[in-house]
Amino acid sequence: MSNKIITMLRKELIDAARDKRSVMAGLYYAMGAPLLMCGMFFMLIGQLTSPEDLNINIDNPQGAPDLVKYLSSEGINQTDGENTKDILLVISDDYASNMAKGISADVTLIADASNEKLQKSIRRLEKRLQAYSSEMGSLRLIARGIDPRVMQPIKLNVEDQATPDSKAGMILGIATMTMIYAVFISGMNLAIDTSAGERERNSLALLLSHPVSTGQIVLSKILAVTIFAMIGLLLTLIVSKFAYSFVPWQELGFSVSVNGNFIGMMMLIGLPVAIMAACLQLFVSFMAKSFKEAQSYLTIVLILPMMLAMAASYDIAPDTLQWLPVSGQLQALMEFIKGRELPVVQLAVSSITTLVISAGLAMGMQKSLKSEKIVFGL
Amino acid sequence: MHQGMYSQLRAGVCPTLTRRKKVAIAVAIWAAVLLPSVHSQPLALSTTTSTSSTDNSCYVDGLSEQMNCGAVSVPENYAKPDGKQIQVHYVVMPAIKSSGKSEALLAIAGGPGQSAIENAQGFDKMLTKVRQTRDVILIDQRGTGQSNQLQCIGDGFDNTLAINESDFDTRVETQKCLDELDADVTQYGSLPALKDFEAVRAHLGYQKLHLYGVSYGTRMAQLYMRHYPEHLATVTLDGVVPMQQSVLAIGDAIARAFELVIQDCNNNALCHKQFPQLAADLEKVDSELAEAPKISTIADPTTGEATQLTMTRSKFKGALRMALYSPSVRALIPHAIHQASKGNFQPITGLYAMSMDSTGIAMGMHASVVCGEDWQRLTPELRATTAANYFGKEMLKTFEQSCAVWNMPAVDDSFSQAIASDIPTLLLSGELDPATPPSWGEMAMEKLTNAKHFIAPYATHGVAYQSCGNNLIAELVETGAVTDIDAECLSKDTRRNFYLNASTVEAIPAEGSQQETTLSADADKALSPQQALNK
Repeated sequence: MSNKIITMLRKELIDAARDKRSVMAGLYYAMGAPLLMCGMFFMLIGQLTSPEDLNINIDNPQGAPDLVKYLSSEGINQTDGENTKDILLVISDDYASNMAKGISADVTLIADASNEKLQKSIRRLEKRLQAYSSEMGSLRLIARGIDPRVMQPIKLNVEDQATPDSKAGMILGIATMTMIYAVFISGMNLAIDTSAGERERNSLALLLSHPVSTGQIVLSKILAVTIFAMIGLLLTLIVSKFAYSFVPWQELGFSVSVNGNFIGMMMLIGLPVAIMAACLQLFVSFMAKSFKEAQSYLTIVLILPMMLAMAASYDIAPDTLQWLPVSGQLQALMEFIKGRELPVVQLAVSSITTLVISAGLAMGMQKSLKSEKIVFGL
Repeated sequence: MHQGMYSQLRAGVCPTLTRRKKVAIAVAIWAAVLLPSVHSQPLALSTTTSTSSTDNSCYVDGLSEQMNCGAVSVPENYAKPDGKQIQVHYVVMPAIKSSGKSEALLAIAGGPGQSAIENAQGFDKMLTKVRQTRDVILIDQRGTGQSNQLQCIGDGFDNTLAINESDFDTRVETQKCLDELDADVTQYGSLPALKDFEAVRAHLGYQKLHLYGVSYGTRMAQLYMRHYPEHLATVTLDGVVPMQQSVLAIGDAIARAFELVIQDCNNNALCHKQFPQLAADLEKVDSELAEAPKISTIADPTTGEATQLTMTRSKFKGALRMALYSPSVRALIPHAIHQASKGNFQPITGLYAMSMDSTGIAMGMHASVVCGEDWQRLTPELRATTAANYFGKEMLKTFEQSCAVWNMPAVDDSFSQAIASDIPTLLLSGELDPATPPSWGEMAMEKLTNAKHFIAPYATHGVAYQSCGNNLIAELVETGAVTDIDAECLSKDTRRNFYLNASTVEAIPAEGSQQETTLSADADKALSPQQALNK
């Protein structure tokens, strides 16, 4: 009995390995996705932390030489050159005289706040102006014999319970999503090939004519696809482990590391998802009339788990999602990363749901393989 | 970096006495080699760490992040290992991306007598780059902060503003303080504390330390170089107190900083025009107050209630001295002097209030260090030169009395020898430093064979807080060598103009031009007071 399954599994794997191109196509994702993610994060960090000089236009700079000098010591320079941002700071004509009288002196910041490229620069400029103003405010109070601390009636103490790992949660959420997605992509080609493909090559009917049950055939195909999916997942994790360590996360104030524990957990939690992915892909491929059709259907079908995964990593409606397949596992993984308690019940429910769906799909396939319509693609 | 300056400003620039803390201490404190500390509130631990050798996550004041706190139990007297034990508390600020557990940076606070942990926020901000890859350790040196703090909290003298410091009997107050303390004060000098540091390093399991010492902390760092060089990777000395130097000579540095601020004002066209007689103004107030203090009724700087102000020479010069520590507060000095010469002591009171209620220097520990390590090595010649200026004289007078009570055994003569070392060492001095002048940094270089000394032209005390000095430290820690460090960025002109009146640093327009702008100024009068006070 089980010997037969192993024999058939070997057949499936040999079959799959023969088509090197589609094997590679499946694994390209596994290797490419983490590298792409790293590239993206590199750019993101570069954007967030670049200490580049900010060049702006200042109108009437001679009206407030000390302010202009201060801004320039903070890397905010007044220029008219090519790299000048579209930000105009207007120093009012009565700046100096209002300052001298101890009343507020007007400085106007003119810029388009909806322009994403300017937002960071505008914030930086505002922050520096605020700092300057606040420093002067304190010194004005001192000059009047008043303790500047009276200006701070509330001293807010924040005790953040985040750990360095949990601060990376958002980033790791996205990264985890791309990892779990590997189980869907890696096995897809094989799933189509071993079902719709086999039918097109007319070897499916031949297989069915052997003294094995349809159940055993389905099981071996699921196993083969699952193995591929898991190999894809493992590969993604290994590539991630090395690639992510090169990203200078510390510049964002946290660290992201893919360690052994995480890999183990991911493989464990990913297994039911991989089984479901295999069943789903095989089922859809069997239902499709041709190889081509299977490919187009699968692309559409795969949007569903992707949406679930995305919803989980972006924290949309987390209460319902934590019970559902894919999103439930993803959320559990994210909790694990953040070093919090594993939501065992939710994880169990979503994993069992995942397996139940898989079993249903497998049974459906087993039944359908008894139908001529499916076997001959009529 | 500037951010640091502002928060210093908000939190009170320099530590001196608290109004609740004793005034005996007020006099003594003028001796303190102070670090312009960044924060003043007591440490808030979420978990008590009183048991020995425990590690706990905790929060420190001013930082929202979880830190790792703990304490090691050490004998108070290392000669009696089975005798009384004290807890030396530490905080590890974990690296953001740890490069292994083998290296960390130990940041040592100044004073002597300041708590490193209470200044965690300032260290964190200054050492941000280092913390990206290295743990940063802060230790409350024995006698400070949480480590069996030797603090004297006397009674009476509720109102610091009203007292006349010269009525103060230092000897009596010091004796009272000593009687209150439950400690063998002779064990609170630098050398036993060094053993504690080493015990903490061993407890935490780091193979090598990078040191950052500021102010008095540079003495601890140099002792570390002398006694445990095998555990050091790099050393940064910021505001250097060379081993050859008694801190009591600080009077000269203060006098020098006073001259520099007057010189700066004279070289600045706007300041010179506004305050043409600054040196004479200072002299005038000083001599008036030396004759007799001026008593007046003012609104308390904090509570706003009517209170008596006894403006003494000690308050006047002390407030100005403290203002010299922060580049931004320093900008107010010419205005404050000029107003005082016209009889208005408001700005001086404001400056004094800032130094009055600030981070606690543990005065007991301060006395243990200064009396044991600095007082007794004063030669008669040095004593004579020190007494040549106001602060030197005051300090000698104070320590003459308090050290007689404290009765510290003198350290060996070898203590005062120059440090000979080839550990990569970065020395930072601020040209405007009112405590540790650049010449002291040069002196410390004497036998350092792998060291570089940089002078930041616009920095005061604590260069790394006020300039790109902290980036140089990060570079030193990263590369482990001083050879490639380029300090050109230290020369970046970050100065601000002097305050020309109580409100502005910009040139005050002449009356005529003010008329022209009256109309538009009126149009803007609708600003609410909140906006005007915008923080």
